[in-house]
Amino acid sequence: MRTPSGTLVSRFTMELVTALVTGSIGAIVCYGSTEFGIGWGDAGPEPGYFPFYVGLIIVLASLFNLFMAFKHYRDRVEEFLTGEQAQRVIAFFGPMVLFVLVTSYLGIYVGMILYLVGAMVFQGGYRLPKAAAVGVITAIANYILFEVWFQVPLLKGPLEPLIGIH
Amino acid sequence: MDNFSNLMDGFAIAFSMFHLALMAAGVLLGILVGVLPGLGAPNGVSLLLPLTFTMDPVSAIILLTSMYWGALFGGSTTSILFNIPGEPSSVATTFDGYPMAQQGHATHALTLAFMSAGTGAMFGVVVITVLSGWVTEFALKFSSPEYFAVFLLTFASFIGMGSGSAFKAIVSMMLGFAFATVGMDGISGNMRLTFGFPDLVKGISFLVAVIGLFGIGELLQTMEEGLRFDGIHARVRIRDVLKAIASMPGHWLTLLRSAIIGAWMGITPGGPTAASFMSYGLAKRFSRRKEHFGKGEPAGVVAPETADHSAGTCAILPMLALGVPGSATAAVMMGGLMIWGLTPGPMLFIERPDFVWGTIASMYLGNVMAVVLVLATVPMFAAILRIPFSIIGPMIVVVCFIGAYSISGSRLDLWLAVPFGILGYTFKKLGYPIAPMVLAMVLGDKAEDALRQSMIMSKGSLGIFWTNSTLSATIMVLAMLLLFWPGVSLIIKRLRKPAVAATA
Repeated sequence: MRTPSGTLVSRFTMELVTALVTGSIGAIVCYGSTEFGIGWGDAGPEPGYFPFYVGLIIVLASLFNLFMAFKHYRDRVEEFLTGEQAQRVIAFFGPMVLFVLVTSYLGIYVGMILYLVGAMVFQGGYRLPKAAAVGVITAIANYILFEVWFQVPLLKGPLEPLIGIH
Repeated sequence: MDNFSNLMDGFAIAFSMFHLALMAAGVLLGILVGVLPGLGAPNGVSLLLPLTFTMDPVSAIILLTSMYWGALFGGSTTSILFNIPGEPSSVATTFDGYPMAQQGHATHALTLAFMSAGTGAMFGVVVITVLSGWVTEFALKFSSPEYFAVFLLTFASFIGMGSGSAFKAIVSMMLGFAFATVGMDGISGNMRLTFGFPDLVKGISFLVAVIGLFGIGELLQTMEEGLRFDGIHARVRIRDVLKAIASMPGHWLTLLRSAIIGAWMGITPGGPTAASFMSYGLAKRFSRRKEHFGKGEPAGVVAPETADHSAGTCAILPMLALGVPGSATAAVMMGGLMIWGLTPGPMLFIERPDFVWGTIASMYLGNVMAVVLVLATVPMFAAILRIPFSIIGPMIVVVCFIGAYSISGSRLDLWLAVPFGILGYTFKKLGYPIAPMVLAMVLGDKAEDALRQSMIMSKGSLGIFWTNSTLSATIMVLAMLLLFWPGVSLIIKRLRKPAVAATA
């Protein structure tokens, strides 16, 4: 075992994964650019010219980063994320993704109330009435700020019309 | 004295009740954003930008620049009181600011920080006022090859002068360019890189990227470290404030040196973060009290703060005059300018002098207001950080996603902010710089147009950047020098090493 105890993901693994991901994005960009010509047309460079070379540079630089990862981090014991850190990050990130999921179906106000109440009750250890009050007040404050003062409509779902807000 | 009369006109525009109220609101929101973890100046400006779409451009830029000043001040506050830099550029302030606060000199440190920051910013605005006429004249000589050369210079300086791996900077920047090309091509009208998704036709907004990269990415990082605020209670006493102000003239040399470093780093895209570190380092080297640095030396607060604000202010000049922003926040503001229908660049000074000089005049007023407001409200904002994170954290998340949605009212933007958040978190931990990506996303279309138009002019020869004019050739030489700076400096070191060894 090279990795120190508690290490979930090593720096080396993460360097590799990141270089591979950025390299693949570069490859996708190159591939996408070939659809409409990457050479020289009647009116100068074709639309794919610029993105193609940008993609190519991404691929080459990612390959270099991959190489550097092997050179620098392969034998080095350095963690990217410990188990404890991962728990904290997931405890924050998970509810956030749920919030976005709920929001895209039920609108941002419902999502916001559920998210705040959930986080306060399950993570903050507050009682439900207090959490509910904070959630609802936040939603109303945002409604007044955005829809009334700045006249920026926010995402609404199927529930708002039931209480007469469109 | 042309600049001076223009500036007076600018004051006439900026000095209205409405604009003063906007400045106050902007500064207060900015302090809030600077104090809260996960929200910084680039992010705050991105979140506020959609609200300014319906405003008059002068009012809009006043609101955004004021928020920028506020955010810079907010960042210094948390550095000193909590040892948590609210902004990357206020990291150097923690070195001596926090020890000062621990020793019971919190008010002294805060006042020094705000006063030096104000001085630095004032110096920056004066530099802008003096230089802007000259820069414009210079920039009017530009055509496409020169523009591309300037863009190249900007990007080269990020790659060559960055502290981390140059290839990581290249990946980050080129990803920014790639994201910028998604959507409709401005020249041919083709749909590029949409892969059949109708939602991608309008492109990927740089605002979503900023909210994800800076906001969510930073929150994830804050969470991972486990959040603890061991704050020092600050009670601002007037007597201490006055005493600190009285000690300011004694720091004149540090102030001047730091302000000049800041101005230089702000105009060339070194940015406020590099400026504050450099200024701290130089202040330490030239100080007679070297051993006191890091243990609560007042000059160690004065130096980074002055340079930070001087650079932050000066970064506005290349944005207005050349259309090349000197920092991530300036890049976001420039994106805003384009959304309001203005074209940043030399023509802006001729077509919209009211806008340019109104902005510059508002910077004088906004900074004075910011110093007063921040001194008055520090205890209040410090109290905000004592609200438990299980409440404030989700609220910050909600604000970020409201910001993402309000850019164009698109559900897709909500989902795009999430991968950008993961990207920001990973990149930051692995030492990929993020600012180049934002810069490339904002400038992508303009840089591409300049390149393609130059290619049309030269019928496909890359030689045009060298042969079009002495100006473009000079800029190209500078760009190449910066791009290969790590290699060049290595060669210089190698050449000098034998000589040093021989004398030793």
